[in-house]
Amino acid sequence: MDQKLQTLQKNWLKKIRLTNNADQLEQIRIQSLGRKGKINQLFQDIKKISPQKRKQYGQDLNLVKTTIEKAIHTQTQPAKTHPSSPSLKSKTKKSTFTLPKIGHLHPISITEYMINDLFLKLGFSIYDGPEIETDEYCFERLNVPKDHPARELQDSIYIREPETLLRTQTSSVEARLLATAKPPFKVAFPGRVYRNEKVNKSNHFVFHQYQAVAVTKNINLKNLFGTINLMFETLYGPDVTVRYRTKYYPEVEPGVGVDLQCFSCHGSGCSLCKDAGWIEMGGAGIIHPIVLKKAGINPKKWRGFAFGMGLDRWTMAKYNIKDIRTLLGGNLAYKPNQP
Amino acid sequence: MKIIYSHLQKFIPQLKIDPKTVADNLSLIGHFADSVEKIDNQVVIDLEIRQNRADCLSYYGIAKELATLYQIPFVTPSVNLPPITKKDKLPIKVTAKSDVKRIMALRLSNLKNTPSPTWLKQFIQLHQLNSINTIVDLTNYIMFLYGIPNHAFDTAKSTNHLIWELNHQFDRFTTLDGTKLQLHPSLLMVNNPKKALSLSFLGGQACAINLDTTEVIFEMAVYNRSKVRADSHQLKTITEAGIRLDKELSHHLIPPAFSYLISLILKHCHGQITSQTYNYCLLKEKPIIINFDPKQISQYAGVSIPNDFALDTLKQLGCIVNKRHKTYQVKPPHFRRDLNLIEDLIEEIIRFWRYDKIPTDQPISDQPLPDITPPIANLTRSLKNILVSLGYDEVRSWPLIKESQIINPKTVIRTQNSINSKYPALRQSIIPSLINQKQQYHRLKLENPQFFEIGKIYYQEKVGDYQEKYSLALHHPNVTQLQTDIDTILSQLQLNSNQLVDIPLIQKHRQNIYVEIILDSLANIVDQKHLHQNNNFSAKKQKRTTAYELTGQITTLDANLNLKNKINPTTLIRKYSKKIGQHLWRIVITDIYHDTAKKLYRYTFRVSYFNLNSATAKTLHLKVFNLNNLK
Repeated sequence: MDQKLQTLQKNWLKKIRLTNNADQLEQIRIQSLGRKGKINQLFQDIKKISPQKRKQYGQDLNLVKTTIEKAIHTQTQPAKTHPSSPSLKSKTKKSTFTLPKIGHLHPISITEYMINDLFLKLGFSIYDGPEIETDEYCFERLNVPKDHPARELQDSIYIREPETLLRTQTSSVEARLLATAKPPFKVAFPGRVYRNEKVNKSNHFVFHQYQAVAVTKNINLKNLFGTINLMFETLYGPDVTVRYRTKYYPEVEPGVGVDLQCFSCHGSGCSLCKDAGWIEMGGAGIIHPIVLKKAGINPKKWRGFAFGMGLDRWTMAKYNIKDIRTLLGGNLAYKPNQP
Repeated sequence: MKIIYSHLQKFIPQLKIDPKTVADNLSLIGHFADSVEKIDNQVVIDLEIRQNRADCLSYYGIAKELATLYQIPFVTPSVNLPPITKKDKLPIKVTAKSDVKRIMALRLSNLKNTPSPTWLKQFIQLHQLNSINTIVDLTNYIMFLYGIPNHAFDTAKSTNHLIWELNHQFDRFTTLDGTKLQLHPSLLMVNNPKKALSLSFLGGQACAINLDTTEVIFEMAVYNRSKVRADSHQLKTITEAGIRLDKELSHHLIPPAFSYLISLILKHCHGQITSQTYNYCLLKEKPIIINFDPKQISQYAGVSIPNDFALDTLKQLGCIVNKRHKTYQVKPPHFRRDLNLIEDLIEEIIRFWRYDKIPTDQPISDQPLPDITPPIANLTRSLKNILVSLGYDEVRSWPLIKESQIINPKTVIRTQNSINSKYPALRQSIIPSLINQKQQYHRLKLENPQFFEIGKIYYQEKVGDYQEKYSLALHHPNVTQLQTDIDTILSQLQLNSNQLVDIPLIQKHRQNIYVEIILDSLANIVDQKHLHQNNNFSAKKQKRTTAYELTGQITTLDANLNLKNKINPTTLIRKYSKKIGQHLWRIVITDIYHDTAKKLYRYTFRVSYFNLNSATAKTLHLKVFNLNNLK
C-alpha cells in the first residue's frame, strides 16, 4: 500500500480508538468518510494517478475506507447501548433504557465454586495439577499397571505414547498430591480431563471432574459418606437421597459408586435416569494401601479417602443443556440483564 | 453380562426372591443392573461386571454372590460321566508354554449332532448369540455357566493333532462367521501342522462343527490374559470368549466345567469318549493366606460389624477361615483372584453388611489443616469475580485446536492418537478461541458480547519439555473500555502497570479488542491476603439459571407503545419482560417521544427473543404489544 495511504489509515484509526463519544465519532466519520470527507477527496483525485498505478491505488483506497468504516462501527456499537439513567429525559432526545449489564460465571465454574466453598469450610485446601501427565501419575501410582484391564476404561489421548498423555482423570492430581504433601491433609480440586472420544451431541473429549482427598490417621467410610452427602445437600438441597454401592476402582479399597436419586423423576424412572430411578454421580473409597505405599505413605499409620465426580452431566441437567458441546463455547450464552 | 433369572436356580435352587429385588441387590453389592427385562417368558437381568470380577462373568459367580447375600445354599450341578477306559492319548502339543496356563481336552466319537433343543436355543439367543447346533451351543452354554471359554474341533477337518503355538506360519484366518482376518506373527493360536484352526479367543471355519460332525475334540483352556488382550486388540476383534480370557480366570474351574460340558454332550448327542483326558497344567501357584483381624473392619467402616457376620460372610464366599490366637488366617477361594489383601476381605464384609447401614450424617471434621492452596488457584478465582463484576461473561473453549490456529509451530504440542484428527494440537493462546466465540455470537445475532476465558495454554520450549500455564483472555468491543477494565483489574489486585514492566504479561490482538495475560507470573507478585478478600463471591448469587443453550439466531423486533402518561421506563421494562416470559433475551427502550399535539408519550421498544423461530417470535411480539389491531 502507498505510504501516504498507510499513514492516513493509521492516523484515522488512532483517532477512532481514542474516541468513546458518539458525537466525536460522528465528526470523525464526516471528516473521513463523508461526502466532502478526506477519502472521497482522494477518490476524486484518482485521475491524477498514472494509469499503471491507478488500479492498485483504487483498491488500496477502498481498503482504507472499509477499515475506517469497520473501526467506527466497532467503536460506535457499545456507545449506543451503554445503559443510561432510567429517568425520563427531555421530550425528543433519544435515550436507551434497559437493566444494567452484569457478567456471569460459566455454569461449570459456578458448580466448582459452590463445591469449593463447602470444602473450604471443612478446612480443605484447593489444589491443582498438570493436564499433560505421565503414565506414572495417571496410572502406575494409582494401582493401574500397564497390562491392567482397567486401562480399557479410559481411552487416552497421547502426546508421546506410551509415556506422556492428557490426564484421563483428576486422580492424577491425587497421585501428585500424595507424592508431595505430608499427611495429614485435606484437599479438593476441580479439573479438566480428556478421553479419546469422537465429539458429538452426547460425547466430548474434554470433561470436568471434581475430586477430594483427605489423609488422616483415622478416616473411615462413615466420614466419606457424610462428606459426600453434605456436598450433594449443598448442591441440591437437604432432601437429596444418595446411595452407595460397591464399585471397583483400582485406586481405592473398599470402593463405592455414588448414585443420586434422579432429580427429575425422584426415583420412579424417566428418560434422564434411563428408568433406573438413580443417576450415577461418581466414585469414591478408601485409598488403596498400594497407592499410599507407592507415594511413600505408611498405610498402617495413615488412611485416606478419595472421591471424584463428573460435573458435565449434572450441569447440563441443571441448565437444561441438551448438547454437551455447548458447555465448551459455541451456543452457550447469558441473558444480558439477568442477575 | 446377561443373566436369565431362572437359570440361576441351577446353582441356588432356593432362590425365591423376585427378579427386580435381586437386580437391585446385585447393583448394591457391586454388579450394576443396567436393565431387567421380560423376554420370551424369561426375566433377563443385564449386569455391568467390573474388571476385577472375572468370576462374575458367569452364572456360577453371580449365584455365589447371591448365595452369600441371602445366606442360601450354593450347589454345583451333579455330573455322572462314564469311566474313561480308552488308552488313546490325544496328540496335543503346547509350544507357547508361557502363555498357556491350563488345558483340558477329550475326544468324543459317534456323536449325533442336531439343531439345539428349544431351551438351549432360547438360552443362546437371550445371550445375543446365534444358535448354531447342539454341540456349538452347549460349548457356549458352559462358557456362560462357568465363565470358562472352550472350543470344539471337528476331527474330520482338523485331525487329532492340535498345537498351541505362537503363530509363525499362517497369514490368513477365516473365523466361524466367515470374517477373514490377516494374521500377525506371534498370535496365540491352536493349529495343526497344516491349518490355522483357532485363535485363543475365536474359533475358525477350518474345523467348524456342523450337523454332519461325528467326532470332536473338546478343549477348555485358560491363558495369559495379557496375551489374549494384546491379540484381541491387535486384531480389533472382541468376542465373548475374549472378554473372559483377558481377565484373571481360575484354572481350578476347568475340571468341573469341562466335566459338565462332556456330560451334557453325551446326554444330548450321545456318542462315546474315545480318548484319555488331556490335562496340561504347569502352573505352581502359591496359596494366598491373609492375616485377618476383625477389629479392622470397624476402623474402615466407622461402624461396628459383628465378628460372627464377618466370619460367616467369608466362609459363605468360599474362604477357608482358621483361627490363629486372637486373629484369623483366611485362604480365599481359587475363583476369587481379586482377594489378596486384608483390605479386600474388609470390602467383602462391608459390602455384604451393606453400605446403606453406614450413617451419612457425620462428615469429616472441619478442623483446618495447613493450607496448601497454590497462589494461582486464588488468583483465578479473584479474577473471575472481578471480571463478572465488570460485566464480562465467562466462556470455556476447546483446548485442542486446528492446524490453522497454531501460532508457533516450533513450540506447539501435538497429540499422537486423537480420533478428532481435525484438532491435532494443544492451544498456545486463548485468543483464537475467543475470536471463534465472537464469530459464533455474531452468527447468533448476539450484540456486543463482552467475555473472557481463564484456562491453560500449552507449549514446549525444547522437544519433550512440556509446559502449561494459566492464561486470561478477554474481549470487549470497545478498546477504551477494555483498557479501563484492565486498569480496574490491576487496581483491584493492588498492582500497577509498573510492576508488570519486567514481565511480558500482556499481548494484544485484533486492534486491541482482545487481550491475553499469562497468569502464572502474575500469581507470584499478587498479595495472597488481598486475593482472599476478593474471593468473597458467593456462588449462591449465581445459582439462578442465567446460562442458556441457544438453538438458533436471536430475533430482534421493535414495537411502539403510545401512552397518555409518563411512566418510568424501568417499570415498563419489568412489566413487558414478565408478559414476554421465558423466551425473552433482551428488552430495551430505545426512544421516548412526547407528541405534544396528540398529548401522547411514544415508547419505542427493541425486544430480542431466543430459541424461537422468527415467525413464532413475531407472533409472540405482536401479541405482547397488542400490535395485531394495528395491521
